[in-house]
Amino acid sequence: MTEEDQKAQFNESSIFPWMQMATDMWMNMAKTMPSGSPSVLNPQAALQNRYWQQLDTHLNLFKSFSKMMNPKEGGSAAAGAAQALPEVFLKIAKTGFDTALQIQNHLLEKAGKIGKRTEAYKFDNLDQDIFKALNEIYEKEIQQYFKIPPLGLTRFYQERINEFLNKHNIFETALAEFLFILYLPLEKSFQVFQEKLKAMAEEGKIPTATKENYAMWLKILEGHYMNLFKSADYTEALHRVLKNFEDFMIARNETMHDYLQMLPVVTTKDIDDLYKEFYLLKKRVQELEKMLGISPNAMNAKK
Amino acid sequence: MDSTKIPLDLILEKMAEDAEKAQQRVSKAAEVLQGKLYTELATTPYDIVYEEDRVKVKHYTRNENAENKLNVPLLVVYALINRETMLDLQPDRSVVKTFLESGIDLYMVDWGYPKRKDRFLTINDHVNGYMNNIIDFIREKHNVPKVNLMGICMGGSFSVMYSALHPDKIKNLVTTVTPSSFDTDKGLLHVWMKDIDVDGLIKTYGNIPGDLMNLGFLLLNPARLMIDKYVGFMENMDNKDFVENFVRMERWIFDSPDVPGETFRQFVEDGYKKNLLIQSKMYLGGSRVDLKKLTMPLLNFYGEYDHLVPPEACNQLTKAVGSKDVEDICLETGHIGIYVSSKFQRMFAPKIVQWLRERDGDDVAAVAEKTKTRRTVKKNQPVKKKTGKTPKKGLRK
Repeated sequence: MTEEDQKAQFNESSIFPWMQMATDMWMNMAKTMPSGSPSVLNPQAALQNRYWQQLDTHLNLFKSFSKMMNPKEGGSAAAGAAQALPEVFLKIAKTGFDTALQIQNHLLEKAGKIGKRTEAYKFDNLDQDIFKALNEIYEKEIQQYFKIPPLGLTRFYQERINEFLNKHNIFETALAEFLFILYLPLEKSFQVFQEKLKAMAEEGKIPTATKENYAMWLKILEGHYMNLFKSADYTEALHRVLKNFEDFMIARNETMHDYLQMLPVVTTKDIDDLYKEFYLLKKRVQELEKMLGISPNAMNAKK
Repeated sequence: MDSTKIPLDLILEKMAEDAEKAQQRVSKAAEVLQGKLYTELATTPYDIVYEEDRVKVKHYTRNENAENKLNVPLLVVYALINRETMLDLQPDRSVVKTFLESGIDLYMVDWGYPKRKDRFLTINDHVNGYMNNIIDFIREKHNVPKVNLMGICMGGSFSVMYSALHPDKIKNLVTTVTPSSFDTDKGLLHVWMKDIDVDGLIKTYGNIPGDLMNLGFLLLNPARLMIDKYVGFMENMDNKDFVENFVRMERWIFDSPDVPGETFRQFVEDGYKKNLLIQSKMYLGGSRVDLKKLTMPLLNFYGEYDHLVPPEACNQLTKAVGSKDVEDICLETGHIGIYVSSKFQRMFAPKIVQWLRERDGDDVAAVAEKTKTRRTVKKNQPVKKKTGKTPKKGLRK
C-alpha cells in the first residue's frame, strides 16, 4: 500500500465526519440551551454566560481541529444522512431543557429568598415561597398524572391508590412548610441573642454564667414563639397541615379498606356502622326504660 | 478604638465549674434514676360505687372524726381531656385529701378511656345521660334532694350545663378553670379552634386522639414545655424528690384519653365557634341551656396566667347566671397550678371547703336572695376571710 492510498483510506474513514457531526451537535445544543430560552434563565444569565462562552470556545476549537483533519470537506451520502439525526434529537432535547430549566429556575428563584434575613420578632409574610413553589410545581407538573382517569374493572381501586399517593405528596409539602415555620423562631432567637451578647460585650456586661445566658436565650425564644403563634401565617399553615393530614389519612384509610375487603376481616367502616346502630338502639332502650319507670341505677350501682 | 471588656477568664472559670458540677450531677443522677422511685399517683383509697359503660364513680372515705362534717355530698366532674388523678397527684399535694380531711363526702367521676364505639356520644349523653344518672344515684344513696357539684375545665362546662338544666338537683356549684365564654382572642387555643376543620378531624380519627391534643398543648409554648422543662429536669436529676415529682407529673400529663368525636365536635362548634353557652343559646337533647335558670350559689375559680382557658373565658359566667350568690376568685397561677402547686394547695381546696360549709344548710338560697352577693377576689395569699353569710345547719330529708 502506497502512502497516498493510506491517506485516502484514512480520510474516508468515519472518524472525521463523526467529529464534524459531533461538534455541530454540541454547538447547536449549546445554542438551544440558555441562549435559546432567554426568558427562562434571566436571573442566572450572568453566571451562565460565562459558562456558555467557555463551552463555545472549546467547541469552536474542536471544530477547527476536525476541519483541519478533514481537508476534503463533504463526506459520503451516508454521513450526510447521519448528520440529520442530531437535529431530531435537538428538537426533543430543547423541549426537555425548557421544562427542566423552568422548574429549576423557579425553585432557585424562590430558594434564594430563604437565605434572606428576616426581621426579629416579625412573622408576617413569612418566607415560605419555596414551599409555594414546590406546591405549584407539584400541581402543575406531577399531580396531573394522578388525575388521569383510570379505566377498566379496577378503575375505582386505581383511583383510590392515586388519590392516596397524591394526598401523601401534598401532606409532605405542607408538613415541610410547617416544620420550617416552627424552626424559624429558633433561628431568629439565635440572631437576636448574638446581637444582644455583642451589645453587652461592648458595654462590658456580658453574663459569665451559662445559666444566665441560657435564661436570656430562652426568653428571646419564647417571645419569638409567642409572636409567631399570633401571626395569621402560622394559623393558616397550622390549619393547612392539619387539613392535608386529614385528607391523607382519609385517602389512606379508603385504600386500606379496599385491601382489607379482600381478607376475611371486618373493616372500620363496618364496625362504625354497627356502633352507630348500637348507639341508637341503646338510646331507644333508655327511653323505653324511662317510660316504664326503670331506673338505670338499678343496674349500674355496684353492690 | 474602644476595647471590649469581656471577662474571658471569668467565663472560662465558670464553664469549668459548670462542667465539674455537671459531672458530679450525672454520676449521682445515675444512682437516683436506677434506684427505686416512688412515682405512683392517685393513691388515696376509694371504692367504685357506680359503673355505666366506660364511666365509673369513685367514692372516697372521708375522715369521720373531722369537725363540722358536711351533710351534702360533693360530686367532682373532671374534663374529658386528661384524667381526674390530677386532684390526687401525691399525698402532700392532694385536693382529694384536703376534702376528706375536712369532712366532705366525696364522689368523683372517672370518665375512663373512650373507645371507637363511644365516638357517637354527644355532650347531651354525658350531661343528661351519665351525669344525671350519677347524680340521681348519689341523691338516692344519701337520701338528699340535692348534691354539691364541682366541675373542672371542660367538666366545669358540663356542670354549668347540668346545673342550668337541673337546678332542682344541685345545691351549690363550684366551677374551676371552666370555659364558658369562648369568644376571646386571649388564649391561643381559642384563636386556633375558631377555624379548625372539626368535621375532617372526626372523619379522620373517629375520636380525637389524646396524643394529638397533647401535641397541640405542647405547641402552645414549645420553649417552656419542650425545652426548658427538660433542661430543668437535667439540672435536678440528682434530686430524688424532684425526679419523683417530675415523673409523676409526666405520667399524669401524657395519660390522656381520647375524646369522643361527637362531643368534641359539639364543644368546638357550639363553644369555640359559636359561643352559645354564655348567651344561653346552646341546646342539649332539645332543651335550651338557659343560664338564668342556674340559681344555686356559684363559686368560680380561674387562673390569671392560664394559657389554655384565659380569665376572659371564665369570668363572664357569674354575670350571666341567674344566681345571686356568686363569687369569682382569680388566682395568680396557671391552668394546672391551681390544683398542684404547693402554694395554691393552701388556698384552693380550703376555700372550697369553707364556702361549701357556709352553704351546707337548708335555706342558704333564701339568705343569698336577701344578701345578693357578687364578689370578685384576686388572691395570692391563703384564704382567711369569710363571706359573711350565716350558714344554717340541717338538711331537708
